[in-house]
Amino acid sequence: MSDTHPTVLPGFGLTLGFTTFFLSAMVLLPLAALVWLTASTPVAHILQVVASPRALASYRLSFGGALLAAGVNLVFGFIIAWTLVRYEFPGRGLVDALIDMPFALPTAVSGIALTTVFSQSGWLGHYLELAGVKVAYTWIGVILAMTLMGMPFAVRTMQPALNEVQRELEDAAETLGAGRWYVFRRVIVPTVLPALLTGFTLAFARALAEYGSVIFISGNLPLKTEITPLLIVIHLEEFDYRGAAALGFVMLAVSFSILLTLNLLQAWGRRRLVLRTS
Amino acid sequence: MSITLDQLTKRYQGVPVVNDVSLEIGDGEFFVLLGPSGSGKSTLLRAIAGLCGLDHGRIALHGRDVTHVSARRRGVGLVFQNYALFRHMTVAENIEFALRVRRARAAERRRRRQELLRLVALEGMDDRLPAQLSGGQQQRVAVARALAHKPEVLLLDEPFGALDAKIREGLRRTIREVQRELRITTILVTHDQEEAFAMADRIGVMNLGRLLETGRPTDLYTRPATRFVATFLGAANLLLARQTPDGIFCGDGQITARGASPGAAGREREVVAVVRPEEIEIARSREGLSSGYLGQATVAEVLCTGPIERVRVRLEAGPDTPLLAQPDRDGGTSLEATRAQFEQRALELASGDRVALGIRRVHLLPTPLSSFTICAKGEPAAAALARNPLLADLSSRMKTRIRTRLEPRLGDYAIDAASTASFLGTTVVGAGARVADEASWLLAHGAEEILVLPESAGVPHRVLIHWAGDAARRPTLAVSASVLRQIAAEAVYVDVMAQQSAAGERPLGIRSLLDARSEARTAHGLELRTELRYGEAAGELAQRLEQSPAQMLIIGLSHPQQLSARFGSLLASPRWPVLIVHRLQESSAQSRSAA
Repeated sequence: MSDTHPTVLPGFGLTLGFTTFFLSAMVLLPLAALVWLTASTPVAHILQVVASPRALASYRLSFGGALLAAGVNLVFGFIIAWTLVRYEFPGRGLVDALIDMPFALPTAVSGIALTTVFSQSGWLGHYLELAGVKVAYTWIGVILAMTLMGMPFAVRTMQPALNEVQRELEDAAETLGAGRWYVFRRVIVPTVLPALLTGFTLAFARALAEYGSVIFISGNLPLKTEITPLLIVIHLEEFDYRGAAALGFVMLAVSFSILLTLNLLQAWGRRRLVLRTS
Repeated sequence: MSITLDQLTKRYQGVPVVNDVSLEIGDGEFFVLLGPSGSGKSTLLRAIAGLCGLDHGRIALHGRDVTHVSARRRGVGLVFQNYALFRHMTVAENIEFALRVRRARAAERRRRRQELLRLVALEGMDDRLPAQLSGGQQQRVAVARALAHKPEVLLLDEPFGALDAKIREGLRRTIREVQRELRITTILVTHDQEEAFAMADRIGVMNLGRLLETGRPTDLYTRPATRFVATFLGAANLLLARQTPDGIFCGDGQITARGASPGAAGREREVVAVVRPEEIEIARSREGLSSGYLGQATVAEVLCTGPIERVRVRLEAGPDTPLLAQPDRDGGTSLEATRAQFEQRALELASGDRVALGIRRVHLLPTPLSSFTICAKGEPAAAALARNPLLADLSSRMKTRIRTRLEPRLGDYAIDAASTASFLGTTVVGAGARVADEASWLLAHGAEEILVLPESAGVPHRVLIHWAGDAARRPTLAVSASVLRQIAAEAVYVDVMAQQSAAGERPLGIRSLLDARSEARTAHGLELRTELRYGEAAGELAQRLEQSPAQMLIIGLSHPQQLSARFGSLLASPRWPVLIVHRLQESSAQSRSAA
């Protein structure tokens, strides 16, 4: 939009200026500092920190867990969003409001709450323990916390998209002879695919960045249930700023490339609206 | 028959949105369902497509009962107002959708797709996405998609609603051509009467969930049977006229009417006359008219709409002024007339001009309900009745007026027929303790329909119909049909047989139910439920009325004495509205066959 076309908000030059300024001050500059700090560290020290067995194990848990949690949110977020959009039931407003709870709670509170419920003596943990499943202080607990924190992101991005799927699309497909599963696969999912990808991306990003709740439920056993953000904090507490920066740089690089891929996928999907399956 | 609907009923929260609709549509017919929004026409279409369940009734397509067949196996094609194209698929993929579901071979799919694209004049558009097409083109794709699996029936739900006038025109023609070429039975749903006229072989008009009338467009326009159809299809002036043995009179003069044979009634009756705006003649003076004189009027407004001119005229008040069925807001009477170019050239009109009005043709509605007259002993009682919600609702739906007539001697035992003028139209009385006497008094003074209204009677959900003696059947059914066209209630005919009747009489009872149902359907297009009860009539009816609130009762009498003798107990301060019908002799004009 050029400034020759008048709009309600101030012109293009001004808004772009603000955009650049804020992005620089809040995002680019700190990130650049991180990169600069890493770059000015001796390579041997970087490798020692970044490639240590403890760090490698934390990457696996952080990135693997976040992907898994985002996957869980993709499926269950879709179901929750569908239920909220399509059905009228008593208490729908309450359920709708509950979705946002993880947004509002301090993450530490969520962590404590989860731990209380899922520890060996907790309400649910007690029975899971009897069934041989340990949640608290294992990787399952980590994923549980990540899923909880990412859930509202998944639901809230899918909801408006599902809202826009006209019921008539399903009716049309049905009169053309398609069964429910066929309609779901070939009509509904392709129509909301961009929103599904966005929801997945946001849930993944949130899970990766989650710290407060995870450290309560994970038990933080090195090599087992230690996430990368915690490892960074440990380095900081030991005044190893350069080590912490190096780990941060690795997280930054990997998450940036994953997010970029997802974003490109989305842009492509939006253009074509579907992966042509046949 | 391609499509046979038998007594379809669909309710939402107890309220029928499709109410006892029966309809037969022939092979290759283009049928248009016309009605205002909320009349149930789209729900009916969805029911035929199998997309919504029914509470009652059966649907057959080409003789196959599909009532319980799912939408995907019904073999219908459906087109929506908002196209409902799959946006992520190309035109080709959209059209081939139904074939792909059926696992047709690629070669066959391509052949069929090209055939359909040619049919809707979109050749070469195969690889476009819906977003790259105009609205009209998208709807063409939707039509092609709906036809791909060779459905037996094509259903179109307001397909032109989202398009502008020019494109609408072109698409209409395309759809009509496609329909003729494939000879596919088609139902189109619309609220636009012009569209209905332009496309239909036959039109069915719906209102309040009921299918009021079906017929060829010209028949429905020139000879409507109901007020609703008369006013919904084109503009219409509704006038109250008097039908007497000497002819039909409207205001001062006698008029020539279609749909009525004067004199057959044997007595004076009030009837509703439909005068189309183009049938009103305007001249400088009474002598200049070539048609029947209606009255003097003043021109209120002249609007030029291109080919025709619309004129609003106000009739001058006087004792013989014809009454408009529905008065203006200030109580005056104005009519709408249209004039062709040659008439405009012959006589130029400006607002304020005094003119004489003539009527070239009128059509009399066969409805027995013309207007309401509130009858009470005093002013306060009449005012209370005038505020009754059911009466207000009925009169506004019927576009008719409510008059008030004070009768201090209402209900007195000494009946002096000569002292009072006869009651015309429907007489309304309050449901007081002496209402049985009052009703008898009114019957003796010539009232033919009496509506007994309890205070605050609301619009009923169910109307019970009962008559005493075969002679009362015809008039009662005619009145019932007129009432039920105005309210979304279900109609139940209750026949009551004596308790001690022999077993052999049972078939007789069932026979009377079947007769009632078939007459209601053939003569009035009204679908009736029927019930047979045993016992004493008034008691059984009272019991039935107790079962649920919001009911109304219509009783037909073949003799005035039956009122107090048979139904006296029902009329002791009734809590439900009761409509009493007593007509000695039905004129042939009242039946639809004469129209």
